[in-house]
Amino acid sequence: MAEYDIPTLKEEIEKETVEQVLALDVDKYKYGFETKLEVDRAPKGLSEDTIRFISAKKEEPEWMLEWRLEAYRRWLTMTEPTWAKVHYPRIDFQDMYYYAAPKGTNRPKSLDEVDPALLEMYEKLGVPLKERELLAGVEQPRVAVDAVIDSVSVATTFRAELNKMGIIFCSISEAIREYPDLVKQYLGTVVPVTDNYYATLNSAVFTDGSFCYVPKGVRCPMELSTYFRINEAKTGQFERTLLICDEGAYVSYLEGCTAPARAEHQLHAAVVELVALKDAEIKYSTVQNWFPGDKDGKGGVYNFVTKRGDCRGDNSKISWTQVETGSAITWKYPSCILRGDNSSGEFYSIAISNGYQQVDSGTKMIHLGKNTTSRIISKGIAAGFSDNTYRGQVSAHAKAKGARNFTQCDSLLIGDKCGAHTVPYIESRNASAVFEHEATTSKISDDQMFYAMQRGLSEEEAVALIVNGFVRDVLQHLPMEFMVETQKLISISLEGSVG
Amino acid sequence: MNAIVRLGPAELTLIEQLKNLGAHAEAERLTAAGLPTRRVESYHYTDLKALLRSVPELGTAGGAGAPHFDIPGTWRVAIVNGAIGSPIGAPHGVTAGTVSGSVLTERDDMLVRLNSALTQQSLSLEISGDIAEPLVIDRQFAGEAAHVATGAKIFVADGAKVTIVEVYSGSEAAHLGNHATYLAIGKGAEVTHITLNLMDKAATHFATNEYLISESARLRTLAIQAGGALSRTQLLPRYVGKGAYADITGLSLVGDGQHADITMDAQHAVPNTSSKPLFKSIARGRSKAVVQGRLVVARDAQKTDAKLMAQGLMLSDEAEILTKPELEIYADDVVCGHGSTCGRLDDDHLFYLMARGIDKITAETMLVRAFLAALVDPIENQSLKAALTGVIDGWLENA
Repeated sequence: MAEYDIPTLKEEIEKETVEQVLALDVDKYKYGFETKLEVDRAPKGLSEDTIRFISAKKEEPEWMLEWRLEAYRRWLTMTEPTWAKVHYPRIDFQDMYYYAAPKGTNRPKSLDEVDPALLEMYEKLGVPLKERELLAGVEQPRVAVDAVIDSVSVATTFRAELNKMGIIFCSISEAIREYPDLVKQYLGTVVPVTDNYYATLNSAVFTDGSFCYVPKGVRCPMELSTYFRINEAKTGQFERTLLICDEGAYVSYLEGCTAPARAEHQLHAAVVELVALKDAEIKYSTVQNWFPGDKDGKGGVYNFVTKRGDCRGDNSKISWTQVETGSAITWKYPSCILRGDNSSGEFYSIAISNGYQQVDSGTKMIHLGKNTTSRIISKGIAAGFSDNTYRGQVSAHAKAKGARNFTQCDSLLIGDKCGAHTVPYIESRNASAVFEHEATTSKISDDQMFYAMQRGLSEEEAVALIVNGFVRDVLQHLPMEFMVETQKLISISLEGSVG
Repeated sequence: MNAIVRLGPAELTLIEQLKNLGAHAEAERLTAAGLPTRRVESYHYTDLKALLRSVPELGTAGGAGAPHFDIPGTWRVAIVNGAIGSPIGAPHGVTAGTVSGSVLTERDDMLVRLNSALTQQSLSLEISGDIAEPLVIDRQFAGEAAHVATGAKIFVADGAKVTIVEVYSGSEAAHLGNHATYLAIGKGAEVTHITLNLMDKAATHFATNEYLISESARLRTLAIQAGGALSRTQLLPRYVGKGAYADITGLSLVGDGQHADITMDAQHAVPNTSSKPLFKSIARGRSKAVVQGRLVVARDAQKTDAKLMAQGLMLSDEAEILTKPELEIYADDVVCGHGSTCGRLDDDHLFYLMARGIDKITAETMLVRAFLAALVDPIENQSLKAALTGVIDGWLENA
């Protein structure tokens, strides 16, 4: 049997892993290209006029404009939150554009009318906007896509087919015009206008996003997906997603994001609201791959996002799965309000940071109903000079009898210039609630390597096995359609060591 | 933030007291910032601005009372309303005296700042050799409600071995105590440090214990909070020598109307140090128990092995147990973690005992004792262990 020199091996693996991460995230951000498109922009800066401009562009009804203006006036009185473990220079909210739309694509009747340059761009991103027909005998996964570039939704596929089942899937601008009652009933009920600094800003200036309504008892037959792309320079993207799952319905929703590589920072402040009524289930998956900045930490997207799901009805379920690999700064806490009795919330997260990225992400599980359950699995991998923080809150209200939570957050450090932090807030206000929380921080241990290699695995296979095992709990909750992309993204050691 | 800070009566009294003592810089700082609110991360669950309603007059020296908590076979020094009693009959190897001013290392923390500004004179203990009898520092409040800041500076020489017990107690008045202990432990020394908050129900109790743990030194602490309407014990261990090890433990016993907070901020500064912090809370009635525990591992502190555990036991539906363990890790070759559990007594365990003919109350008490065993069992001195068990039993019986 060959003798293994463990320390040398370890160094090698570390080197390889670090190289992999570098190659992956910083130097080879393959979505960093910019597509030249003719755009229609709002004047730079933020004022009531900007908001009126956006609202007019969107041909919105009066109540929507009022809603936006009220949010803006509120926002002026608020201060930026400082509790997150992230550092960045003050954002100049007057030095950016709040509306940018590719010309001539405002409302295409069919995909044939969409600018070919745009279709090409999405093709390049691996998001086909063509509706693929089912080939005889060959089962192909079909995904309905709503593609959002800068400030507008450019195309939504499979709408007709979904419509037959009563499912509404369109851009939020269209929804405001065509389904005002539904929007009025649910918009801002999960994330109130006054919720936090960035959510309020979003409420004032949001430009587009996706809207989805799944009627009673309908199981959405395909994955719904939104693909966000910031293309223009100095443009903030403020999208708003509203997803309603009526009684007994089910939907699985995917979200992907990329941006060109630029030297200046770009702001992305989105709001996502999910509503699950009685017996409904929503599965929301995100692969976030905004431009993380270059290897010296220049540029990159500030990703300040408010995502929240409301399990409004009994026995409802909301499951968040996120893979966070991009953005210079991530400030994101997809949460669940477990209002209905027996409702359950899940949060599965893989957060990878490298270069000078800063991640402060986690979740909130607010138990309000009886016998509500929640589960949190978070895997953080920090490399380079990055800081990776898990921040999560679990709380049980006095009325949440029999609430249960299990939380596990593990961090893996690669290199000694990065930091991994864990900050859970565990608040129990009733005796029958049972909370368990576990967190570990480590690197791949010599013992694990020794054990695996003793059983005949090569060094590469051993690392692959261990890292695969590290993120497995989360990976297995991703929809099939995302698995390939995700595995490519997090091939932190997997790809490199398996070869 | 541009918001103007509105000052409450507690803050105004504190500012005046600081000014009277010549601590103008601190008075200005308090005027500008006010007492910490929940927006200050380290006071997230103990909002001093909301909880501290009033501050009594600064205490004046009073006569030494009888000890509220007596352990046979100990040496005792009393600090009454801040006045340090004459330390007579110190055992061989213990040098007792006083130092002027306060004892804590400067830190951006309101309680530490206030203690440093208000403490005029501190007790000093220098310890060498193997001290068999536990040393008791008895900080008492006498008479009318008083605001008192005290300090104790303790040096334990290389290779020494000692048990130090600190007791906080007083008369039935709304006293406010802000206490500090600085304990520096020499190479290879072994120290057990117990603090016992037995203040009356109306009192407010703040204590900050700073530990400096040298090479191969071993420390065991147990901070028991059983008294006071509002209590906060801050534990600040710093691991500064290779092989330093500490079991930092704490226990909050809270009942109706009480709010107790144990906050640890541990700094692992050099390689090869380890710690096993363990905090337990039992809450009954309408009460609140807070545990915050932060482990900070510096860039250089490779091979740190630290595992924090926080466990809460809720005996009523009106109680709240709020836990915030934190990891802040900058070194990659470490094994660090934390765990937290919270719930009530296990129905299966109760059933098991009751099925064997044990009545419900006895069964519950047995389970609660078992829950607490990990904290009290490791204490070597038998009479001390018996005395602490007595305090816990007393709390359990007075439900």
